[in-house]
Amino acid sequence: MKKTPQAMIFLAKIAKYLFLIFFTLIAVAPIVWAAISSFKTYAEINSSALSWPSAFQLDNYRAAFRYAPIAKYFLNSVIIVGCSVLVTVALVAMCAYIISRFRFKLKTVIVLLISASLMLPAQAISQPLFAIFQKLHIFDTKPGLIIVYSAMGIPMSFFVMVSYYKTISPALEESAYIDGASFLQAFFSIILPLAKPGLVTIALLQFINTWNEFYFALMLTSGDSARTVPIALNYYMGTFANNYSALFAAVVMTVLPTIILFIILQRQVVESLTAGAVKG
Amino acid sequence: MKIKNKGLWIALFTLPCMLLFALVYAAPIVTVAYTSLCNYTTFSAPEFAGIKNFVTIFSDKDFLVSVKNTLVWVLLQSVFHVTLGLIMALVLRRKPKGWQVVRTAYMIPNIIPTAATGVMFTLLLNPSFGVVKPLWEKLGFETSQVPNLFGNSRYAFWTVTFTWILYSGFNTIIFLAEMGAIDKEVYEAARVDGAKPWQIDRYITLPLMKNIFGTCVTLASVAMVSQFDIIYMTTKGGPGNSTLNLPIYLYKAATLENNYGKANAVGVVQIVIGISLVLLIQRLFMAKAGEEDGK
Amino acid sequence: MKKKIMNRILGAAMTGIMVFSLTACGNGGGGENAGSSNTGAGEGSAQEETASGDEKVVLDVINYHVGTDYAAEYYSYLFEAFQETEEGRNVEFRFEEIPTTDAFNQKIKLLISSGDLPDIVFNGGNNITELAAKSGKVADLTPYFEADPEWKALFDETSLEFNTVDGKIYGVPVSKEISYIYYNKELFKQAGIEAPETAYASWDEFFEACDKLKEAGITPVGMDTADSGWLTNLWMSALIGTAGDAGNTWMNSMYPTDFNTPEVEAAAETIQRMFMEYTTADAVGGKYDPMATHFFNGEVAMFPNGPWMIPDFSETEKAPEGFYDKVGIMLMPENGMEMVPTPGDMVGASEPEKIEAAVAFLKFETKPENQIKALEMTGLQPVSNDLEIPSELTESDPLMARVLEIQNEAAVTYGQNQAYWYQNTIDTFSTELPELAYGNITPQEFCKKLSESAAKNQE
Repeated sequence: MKKTPQAMIFLAKIAKYLFLIFFTLIAVAPIVWAAISSFKTYAEINSSALSWPSAFQLDNYRAAFRYAPIAKYFLNSVIIVGCSVLVTVALVAMCAYIISRFRFKLKTVIVLLISASLMLPAQAISQPLFAIFQKLHIFDTKPGLIIVYSAMGIPMSFFVMVSYYKTISPALEESAYIDGASFLQAFFSIILPLAKPGLVTIALLQFINTWNEFYFALMLTSGDSARTVPIALNYYMGTFANNYSALFAAVVMTVLPTIILFIILQRQVVESLTAGAVKG
Repeated sequence: MKIKNKGLWIALFTLPCMLLFALVYAAPIVTVAYTSLCNYTTFSAPEFAGIKNFVTIFSDKDFLVSVKNTLVWVLLQSVFHVTLGLIMALVLRRKPKGWQVVRTAYMIPNIIPTAATGVMFTLLLNPSFGVVKPLWEKLGFETSQVPNLFGNSRYAFWTVTFTWILYSGFNTIIFLAEMGAIDKEVYEAARVDGAKPWQIDRYITLPLMKNIFGTCVTLASVAMVSQFDIIYMTTKGGPGNSTLNLPIYLYKAATLENNYGKANAVGVVQIVIGISLVLLIQRLFMAKAGEEDGK
Repeated sequence: MKKKIMNRILGAAMTGIMVFSLTACGNGGGGENAGSSNTGAGEGSAQEETASGDEKVVLDVINYHVGTDYAAEYYSYLFEAFQETEEGRNVEFRFEEIPTTDAFNQKIKLLISSGDLPDIVFNGGNNITELAAKSGKVADLTPYFEADPEWKALFDETSLEFNTVDGKIYGVPVSKEISYIYYNKELFKQAGIEAPETAYASWDEFFEACDKLKEAGITPVGMDTADSGWLTNLWMSALIGTAGDAGNTWMNSMYPTDFNTPEVEAAAETIQRMFMEYTTADAVGGKYDPMATHFFNGEVAMFPNGPWMIPDFSETEKAPEGFYDKVGIMLMPENGMEMVPTPGDMVGASEPEKIEAAVAFLKFETKPENQIKALEMTGLQPVSNDLEIPSELTESDPLMARVLEIQNEAAVTYGQNQAYWYQNTIDTFSTELPELAYGNITPQEFCKKLSESAAKNQE
């Protein structure tokens, strides 16, 4: 009698691991393939997608460094993306809390405006923004891009946070208020700690979304002082020389640090996940 | 709930967000809405022209196709993509062997720059030297019939779809965060009562995911309404109009026809579709609970 | 009570932080040294300006010949050399680098509509000349040409006309674009056929040769559809341009709107046949680069393109060792050759001394010795007709020598769609080609789509 369920469990286990292995493979395969391709020559890349490079030469990596100030762009990216993550998380943490808890007149308007902005095409935004930024003297500056990226991150983070706050029982704050806590005390000492997994998640999403942004990085800068990594990528795609192997070298160089950063941040998520669960 | 100065706090907490938002989006929203009613090109200032641009686009067959494609992609993404993310989160939640590796690996496709993803897929699926030909031959089909996945309008739509629909790492992360917020004691109690793992998922975890599922569907739909990069990198909306969607149509009107008025009319349609979707999805998924507010 | 006030201040401060950091950084960035009349917001150059108190003219330039661009080296030479001349001594360049023509064109269009064009506007194609001229934000260069007949004499009628909008010259063409057929001598030998000295006398003979190549198991021609379908465009232009007077006139006219002419429809039909019978499996949906690699690897016998491709033949990164010697050159059947003037560089400056300086640079760029330098470094063909090419150049590069020679044997010349068609029509060409290639639409329907697309510009 016991055998059937055990066989079932065993099968389910196999299915589960097949599922995990399959998705890990299809997720990792492209980047591994790009890494391998980054050692190939132009001719090798355009004649067989599956072959090994004839030699593991580093020319493409050298080229990537030669054509663009990639180290400087990298630093710019870290500063701009880092600041925009902080700003977005701080602002959304407050705004989404209000939206998830209270009913007030302008609430629907706010939600609709934020939804609408998700759909605004970049082409339509760039021209008015360009004019505004020149007037404010923040064209071609890091703060300029930080502002755009922070604002761009609001909608997505907003929806995730509103939903997250709703999982936190209002009873917690209520009892705090009964104990005489002020609004800010309730928010900072009760809600925020509980919301930490949500906050880390939106930080992660915001980081990933802005790290690869290309269009505004191009349109709202004119020099090296505020340009970011995605623009460096474009240096390898010249007019009559779509240099894919150098492009892949650049991709690997830009993606690797991102993945490492991601792993570190994720450890944070894990910690906050368990922490949140204990308190909940 | 009794809070002193409730109105003040509402203002103080929402204003910073809305100010930043207004700085970046206010002018564009107004510009888009107004210039959609204008004759407006790269080299001439906007000039009011009524609903002319809307008449133009709604009588263009390509535009209607782009609306259809956009909606199909929204539907596919809302159903398959988000569900896949949920299933992955349900599996990873139990921390099977190697779960951390899987979770990180599954996120990688979302980190790679889209330009690179586009190049990768075009090279990988190239009918003469990509992966398709060897597979095709191994399956015993004729070499001369190797499918041209991006080049033939019979396959292009699905090929493009598969460059994103399986990569649901974003949703997995969001679901995992939400699952982490579920009270551990509930699970403990269920286990003590002898509930099986699938029963726990079915009767405890899933119902609690309703809200966030709605959020993920919202985000996925909206992302599809404004999906641009990969299509641009792989097919540019072709062959014919088989992978044309609203943003590509808009991009072409703006940069190839230099017709900003028409492009912004498409933008307005895009926004209207997007907002309708957000409202619809909220009605479907979002519990009104948790919103109760002691007056 | 106290606490509440504190909190309020805190809240207000939080709102303030953003605004503050915004203005603070803004001042630190572009605004501070804005003593000069310049409106550009370049940061790094602010110091240069104050340092040189004397009459330096600062020119803003957006340069897309950077990174891996084929002309990057030539242009960095050109800017330096200019500053050593009499006219260029006082000129300071302020560069913005934009990699890739695509990104460059997007930015230039944004700047056209916002009115912040750089002082020297390079031309990345894309009908930029017309857009810029119509916006009224680039200088009319006609007076400068009139004042300097020697300079004007460097350009032929067509080259200047190509850069004229409403009777005024706005662009200075710096080169000429020509294209023809490269063929692989070895593959021809394998198929047992002899390539013609200059060109096949007719398209029938050309396709006979294709059939023979095919019989020998060799793919006859390289074609593509992605991006703008460059290679296919060259074949189709040749088919139309050599189809009698009517076809030739059509293929030499700007912004055609009627594609349902007998010549264009016949050409579309031939193109359809070429896709189905004479080219590689990945041509449909394919980009230029893999197709070029097919040619380099000896997998394709004939490949249409221009002189800028010659350096690639001897670059071992791209082509196998010794490939250069296998390549031969012929004109399109019936002695046809594509030839278009390039869209010229423009002047976006508005102050007289800047316009002066920018024009001086454009004159320098088109000096005969720089045209030859460009030919040497990039393969760009001189825009002037009777330049004396130094013999070292032709001796070290026999293919280039042949190019210079063979163009004089062309019986008919014609344009190509990237230079003459509307932007969106080129795009329609590229997205509808696969449909034509797979027989999902007829050649007539294909031409009708092009007509419809061109009509969108007439509204």
